[in-house]
Amino acid sequence: MLIGKASPEDMNIHPIHYQWAYDLYNQAVRNTWFPHEIALKEDLYDWEKMTDDERHAVEFLISFFNPAELIVNRSIALGIYPYLKSPECHLYLAKQMWEEANHCVAFEYVLETFPIDRDKAFSLHTNIPSMKAKEDYINHYMKRMTEDTLDVSTPEGKKDFIRNLVATNIVMEGIWFYSGFMVVLSFRQRNQLRNLGSLINWVLRDESLHLKFGMNLIQNILEENNDILTREFADEIKNIVVQGVDLEVAYNKDLFPRGILGLNADYVNQYVQYVADRRLEELGIGAHYGAKNPAKWMSGATDVLELVNFFEAQNTSYEVDGHATGKKKE
Amino acid sequence: MELTITKRDGTREPFNADKINRSIERACAGLPDAISMVTQIATETRLTLYDGITTEEMDQATINAAVQNIKEDIEYDKVAVRLLLKTVYRRVVGDYENSQEVLRKKHRETFPAWVKKGVDDGLLDPRMLEKFDLKALAAELEIGRDELFLYSGLSTLLHRYSIKDKSEQPYETPQYFFMRVAMGLSFNEKDPTLWAKRFYDKMSQHEYISGGSTNIGAGTTRPSLSNCFLMQMEDDMQHIAKSVADVMMLSKASGGIGLSVTKLRATGSPLSSNNTPSSGPTPFAKIVDTAIRAIQRGGKKKGALCFYMENWHYDFPEFIDWKHNAGDDYMRMRTADTAAFISDEFMRRVENHEMWYMFDPKETPDLVELYGTAFSKRYAEYIEKAERGELRVFKKVPAEEQYRQILVALQGTSHPWLTWKDPINLRALNNNTGTIHMSNLCTEICLPQDRENIAVCNLASLNLAAHIHNKQVDWEKLESSVRYAIRQLDDLIDINTLPIAEAEHADKENRAVGLGVMGFADVLEKFGMAYDSPHAWDFADRIFEFVSYVAIDESANLAAERGAYPNFKGSGWSKGMVPIDSIAALEKDRGMELTVDKSHHYKGLNWDTLREKVKRGMRNATLMAVAPNANIGLVAGTTPGIDPRFAQVFSRNKISGKYMDLNHNLANDLKNLGLWEKVKDRIIADQGDITAIDEIPAHLREVYKTSFSTSPYAFIEVAARAQKWIDQALSRNMYLETRDIGETLDIYTAAWRKGVKSTYYLHMKPRHTAEQSTVQVNKAAAMGKRGFAAVMEAAAEAPAAAQPAAAVPAIPVESVAPFAKVPVTATTAEAKLGPMSAAQAPIDAMPVKAARPFAGAKPAPQQPLVQPATRPQATSPSPAPGASAPRIMPPSDPAEANLCDSCQ
Repeated sequence: MLIGKASPEDMNIHPIHYQWAYDLYNQAVRNTWFPHEIALKEDLYDWEKMTDDERHAVEFLISFFNPAELIVNRSIALGIYPYLKSPECHLYLAKQMWEEANHCVAFEYVLETFPIDRDKAFSLHTNIPSMKAKEDYINHYMKRMTEDTLDVSTPEGKKDFIRNLVATNIVMEGIWFYSGFMVVLSFRQRNQLRNLGSLINWVLRDESLHLKFGMNLIQNILEENNDILTREFADEIKNIVVQGVDLEVAYNKDLFPRGILGLNADYVNQYVQYVADRRLEELGIGAHYGAKNPAKWMSGATDVLELVNFFEAQNTSYEVDGHATGKKKE
Repeated sequence: MELTITKRDGTREPFNADKINRSIERACAGLPDAISMVTQIATETRLTLYDGITTEEMDQATINAAVQNIKEDIEYDKVAVRLLLKTVYRRVVGDYENSQEVLRKKHRETFPAWVKKGVDDGLLDPRMLEKFDLKALAAELEIGRDELFLYSGLSTLLHRYSIKDKSEQPYETPQYFFMRVAMGLSFNEKDPTLWAKRFYDKMSQHEYISGGSTNIGAGTTRPSLSNCFLMQMEDDMQHIAKSVADVMMLSKASGGIGLSVTKLRATGSPLSSNNTPSSGPTPFAKIVDTAIRAIQRGGKKKGALCFYMENWHYDFPEFIDWKHNAGDDYMRMRTADTAAFISDEFMRRVENHEMWYMFDPKETPDLVELYGTAFSKRYAEYIEKAERGELRVFKKVPAEEQYRQILVALQGTSHPWLTWKDPINLRALNNNTGTIHMSNLCTEICLPQDRENIAVCNLASLNLAAHIHNKQVDWEKLESSVRYAIRQLDDLIDINTLPIAEAEHADKENRAVGLGVMGFADVLEKFGMAYDSPHAWDFADRIFEFVSYVAIDESANLAAERGAYPNFKGSGWSKGMVPIDSIAALEKDRGMELTVDKSHHYKGLNWDTLREKVKRGMRNATLMAVAPNANIGLVAGTTPGIDPRFAQVFSRNKISGKYMDLNHNLANDLKNLGLWEKVKDRIIADQGDITAIDEIPAHLREVYKTSFSTSPYAFIEVAARAQKWIDQALSRNMYLETRDIGETLDIYTAAWRKGVKSTYYLHMKPRHTAEQSTVQVNKAAAMGKRGFAAVMEAAAEAPAAAQPAAAVPAIPVESVAPFAKVPVTATTAEAKLGPMSAAQAPIDAMPVKAARPFAGAKPAPQQPLVQPATRPQATSPSPAPGASAPRIMPPSDPAEANLCDSCQ
């Protein structure tokens, strides 16, 4: 069983029961990167030339991402990790938590490098109602697991666990982050903020793995716990997602009070719906919006392999491999 | 939505859909299915507009809309090119009526005045005015050749090479650019106008393209035209400091640099002043790494440099880790690249499982100058000294262990690249002036240098694909391209100005040039040959033998006309040697045969006659080097250098932008088979690898392999065959899927055995990539899970419960109406097209294309023989919102497994 009280056997990694979790852990290790590998300062030249609305969009996104990474960490540490028995899942989550910390520091690096008013940026997520609403939403689902102890042997406890997982992993990481990444990568698409784009490429690569882990977790828990597999609960989950999309739509209005080249609030909202449909389909609930992907250019940003002229840009697709380094230095 | 447009002068005017539609219509004129393309671009442009958008942003939005559809149909590439060209013409030629004929005329008429203005503005060299008959040259300008560009090529040219005005806007049209470069290299010809015309004709049809620095500087007031520099840091503080300054000056002149640090004394080696131990090469390299980072052009392009170190250096193990992403930042090179300079002695010790010794160059100062058996002999003596305890500093490790360390670092960080000192030196015809201590940034240059000489190379590359007609090489045309290119490169040297005396000196004394080749893989595809087939390798042999022969012959001709290069005496050339002859010298020294076919594949070249001719004089110390062409390959719209297709579709992360690269040869073949519409999404879903797409005939899947599905031994074989004929080297990019160090070791050792001089960047196939955006992804289906699907289906009978409580209104794409006045029927479209109607097909039917179909220059704009029966669904403006019914992915479809971003 994935969830429940850990027994002494659960301290042994072998035999591995959830190979997918162990595989994801190994891949996550290979994906290790550090923010300082990116020469972010080179983007300042673009920053100077950007319009106020463009700068606002970037500031707004970073202001959201920065605390959001920590919220995810909190959710993992207090709301997910303690309720899982599987040691291979614990391995993965430990690496994920390091990644969230690394992302937080990466966004910190952005705040330090770009001439962004730090105080303003740090207060945005509590001052801007649409941004605060997103945080409140996450905290709402997290609260029961962090402030009380959950009894995951009961259906209600299991449901709470899933609710929290859907809110943080599916909605926050899988929908909100994805739409934010699309916006940042759109700058890269028109040859601005290339290095921030590289940073986001890495974050996105990590997040894709987080999402895969979360989806695996949900699917396996549903399979192992038939008692919560009801139509009512499915509808409830769907509402959690739909509610998340609603919040994002309101937030996007503040992100793009006007528009910038290539993007406006409606465009981003359509993308959010497109991504939300994908998540709902993966959950077996079925698409809700029937929205098409407006950002066809994302095929070049994420869908195919990238060939980097290494003296022009940071190659973000290499991997470090622990296995091959067996014969390192004397 | 009420929309206003902000004009250039800051005033606003109401958005006029009709105006935009008409400009898109013009850009689509003459293309198959123009109407639906117009609709598609207009609709998607509309999606991104906002109130107050500027006219420039509006132009860009339209271009972007066209570009993002290239993956649906390559015809959109032409539209994007035309839309982008329009913005350039407007700026440089001025407003023009919509007639192409008027534009063509105006484009020519404006040219003389443009040159005058350029000189007045201080941008162009005054000789551009003085030396030429500008009217005659203007008459040569063929604006129709702009249709040869692919969007990525045009965009690269505009971003990187063409002159910009103070507001960073284009100052020249692409044809003005080619003419500027042609003129800028003809100043010293007896008939400058004639030669400018000839060079222009070649370059403007993409038959060859000059190297980057030449494209940037030719004809301007800053003619620093060289591409590559090679230098070595001497082991004294004065020279280290001078080297840092030299690196900065050369970087400013936009050259790529190879810098050897082998001579720097080892960590722990005593300093002569006070006997404190030295800190080794790393801190000095770090200064250089920081220096090149400081040199930035337009905030984008950093200096580019590759450090070379011989692997017998005591600090080589530290060098291996210079590119690691973790560790003390002061010991890491974030910007520069690294390459290992490896001896045959090392390779033998790996094979014989012997120890490898590392020394302090302070104690073994002659090793850096020795190669081949002379190196081995001296190295053995030092080993004895070390074992006798006569060396202060040394260490040893099993040779194979160090080899593995290099390869592990290569796999994880793509560095250090492997280059081989002995084949480079033993096969050189130009090292009569000294040992070659390193290669350059891109591992294709092999030139000696010393304290007084910073070696310089000047590059251009032939575009093979532009020399193919009806699946045959046009040898005559290729011959004239080689001759003109060599002459143009030789002309360059006398115009070139370099910022450092040592470089200037070496340039004039050696007149080294490097003519390369690009479009190799492109041509194989056009011939229907697989990259990893013996036919392809024989073809490489044939092409390079021919190009080599003609290049050498032309340099000998130039020597007869203009005199031999100053350092000719004593060179291999002066002994009547040509590159192929030097293989014997390498084999003799190694005491083993190269495992490469040594026969001639181009019949009928009289090499003996050429040997006699060469003996009498050569104009250039070197002639051939195959550069990677990462940028000029894009400009020419072909595959770079000898590289395979990276994938059938992939994205290029470039300074000038991010481009989706779709293989037009494949797209055309699939269109002709009527398969394109069926498989195009799958090709993206499979990340440009068509191996598993059963609908595509097997022979095509064999020809169109990606770099990772091609045998790595094929890369080596192509390089080895070409290397037979080339006096310098080739930038041999490597691509590997395997992460097995043993296999990697075998592959690189095979390269050495075949006499390959150098390898370049190693691209590893990523095992995990980000979740895809535009293709259907269902991770749950891929893991065979259904989530809530069962309960959803069971309850599907009860429709009342199906609607969620808090639903937001959907904003599907179709609900945004395309521009109101987009023509939707053929009749209105044709009526609207007016003078640009399909019958007159303005751009496409330009004389240059009709009369001279350079089919080889890039995929011909052919109308598919078989028109796809249906247009892509996406181009249809009609489907109602919600038409794409929500559905659960069928877990049974095996293809879906590939859609998942699984980490295999």
